[in-house]
Amino acid sequence: MSRILLDRVSRWYGNVVAVNDVSFEVGPGITGLLGPNGAGKTTLLHLMAGFLVPSAGTVRLDETPTWRHPEIYGRIGFVPEREAVHGFLTGRRFVAAAARLHRLPDAAAAAERAIAMVDLRDAAGRAIGGYSKGMRQRIKVAAALVHDPPVLILDEPFNGMDPRQRLHMMNLLRRMAADGRTILFSSHILEEVERLSDRVLVVVAGRLAASGDFRRIRRLMTDRPHSFTVRSSDDRALGRELLAEPDVSSVELRDGVLTVRTGDYGALTRSIAPAAQRAGVSLLELRPADESLESVFSYLVRR
Amino acid sequence: MTVTLIEITLRGLLNRRRTLLLVLLGVLVVLVAGLYRLADQPQAEAAGFTGALLGNFGLGVLVPLVAVIVGTAALGSELEEGTIVYLLARPVPRWRIVLAKLSVSWLVVTVLVAVPILVAGIVAHPGDPGVALAYAGSSVVAALEYTAVFMALSLVTSRALIVGLAYVVIWEGVVASLFAGTRIFSIRQHALAVAEWLDGGAVTAELAPGVALVMAGIVTVGATLLAVHRLERVELRGETA
Repeated sequence: MSRILLDRVSRWYGNVVAVNDVSFEVGPGITGLLGPNGAGKTTLLHLMAGFLVPSAGTVRLDETPTWRHPEIYGRIGFVPEREAVHGFLTGRRFVAAAARLHRLPDAAAAAERAIAMVDLRDAAGRAIGGYSKGMRQRIKVAAALVHDPPVLILDEPFNGMDPRQRLHMMNLLRRMAADGRTILFSSHILEEVERLSDRVLVVVAGRLAASGDFRRIRRLMTDRPHSFTVRSSDDRALGRELLAEPDVSSVELRDGVLTVRTGDYGALTRSIAPAAQRAGVSLLELRPADESLESVFSYLVRR
Repeated sequence: MTVTLIEITLRGLLNRRRTLLLVLLGVLVVLVAGLYRLADQPQAEAAGFTGALLGNFGLGVLVPLVAVIVGTAALGSELEEGTIVYLLARPVPRWRIVLAKLSVSWLVVTVLVAVPILVAGIVAHPGDPGVALAYAGSSVVAALEYTAVFMALSLVTSRALIVGLAYVVIWEGVVASLFAGTRIFSIRQHALAVAEWLDGGAVTAELAPGVALVMAGIVTVGATLLAVHRLERVELRGETA
């Protein structure tokens, strides 16, 4: 078991501060690094993976500083966000090359095992250059876990995956975490982090805005007024029915648009369908009016 | 481990269209030699023509041009495209990566320059293949020195190709031809001196062969050490950062 430790880490590029005085520890289990685009997630992951030198503070893998210690890669698997791969290699050669660079005793067998884990056996004989985005993402993961590292760092691993691939990858990460591995992944999508992580780190504008158990952070994020816009076969009847719901704080029908406000995000999504049924109305669309992640984050930061 | 690095580098270089276009440059040198033969020039002038062709076009243009393109691409393109992360995220000492990339680039440049120089020299002056051999031999030495310098350059600046070309054209082409004192820092002059050493009769160089060889050695080792030093400290940023 391994831990990543950040102690008062800052990183700036010239005058631009990308990461600002961040301290945390990541241990076994799945930790989600959540934040809007440009918040400094990639900078943080690159600091942890030893690809950037901290301007201040220390980043360590257990006792070893990650910067300028290539031996740490025996214990870290890293999946970068950038799509570029050695596209002229087949999937099998790409993963086997990784295995050989790790000096694994049986590189070919290790490569086959990793390729099977990401469910890419059928495509392993083809050049990566012709892979879809989701397949590329998976072959990158295979190359990162070919040496069975105790720590796996993934930068936006679900980008470009279809729902089935996403589910498969989530199950894979869960299995690896169950074996006692330390898994850290970044995402700008709340739902991915919610479904997968035990712990969450929220970064906004280079700072650690919140960290800890997901349920606690979820409450911080959701215990705030939410509004939805609704389209239905009869907005007036639906609005009347919804007003009776205890979680609905107000209903507004203006210019043919029904807006519903609630203090409890989850309760409304559960109660709206039964309400529509009772009113005998067909629900056409339910759309969160202010659910952009930025608004969630700015709410968190203001707190 | 090293075999893997060599394989990736070689396939990466040979997959670039730019590298393959360089074959045409070598063909051009041979074509010029062929045209000279077809023009039925007097044999007495063949030695002078061959020396000028292999010295000015071969060592002066072909070798540095091929070396700047291959040498800056071997590591530079991986850095630029981001594929270097798949080599760096491994417990591999960085000097191994540099040495593997340097050896492969040297080999590729050598094939692309020494072969056409040898063939062109023999075609232009079949009576004395020693000249062709001397220039081909010195191009192998120059290929290593140039490639090491341009590889280090690709780790120092993202505009290594431009800076490398500027060095070849301005420093070696203009400054070194105007000011004799600067020739000790010109790779082309090192190469000419080596060619003279290999075939004393036909080539006249400005530098003593011993000085040139020592300088070539210092430059090559120094550039390689610099490349290792830089690769150990290379920073990877995200796409947006």
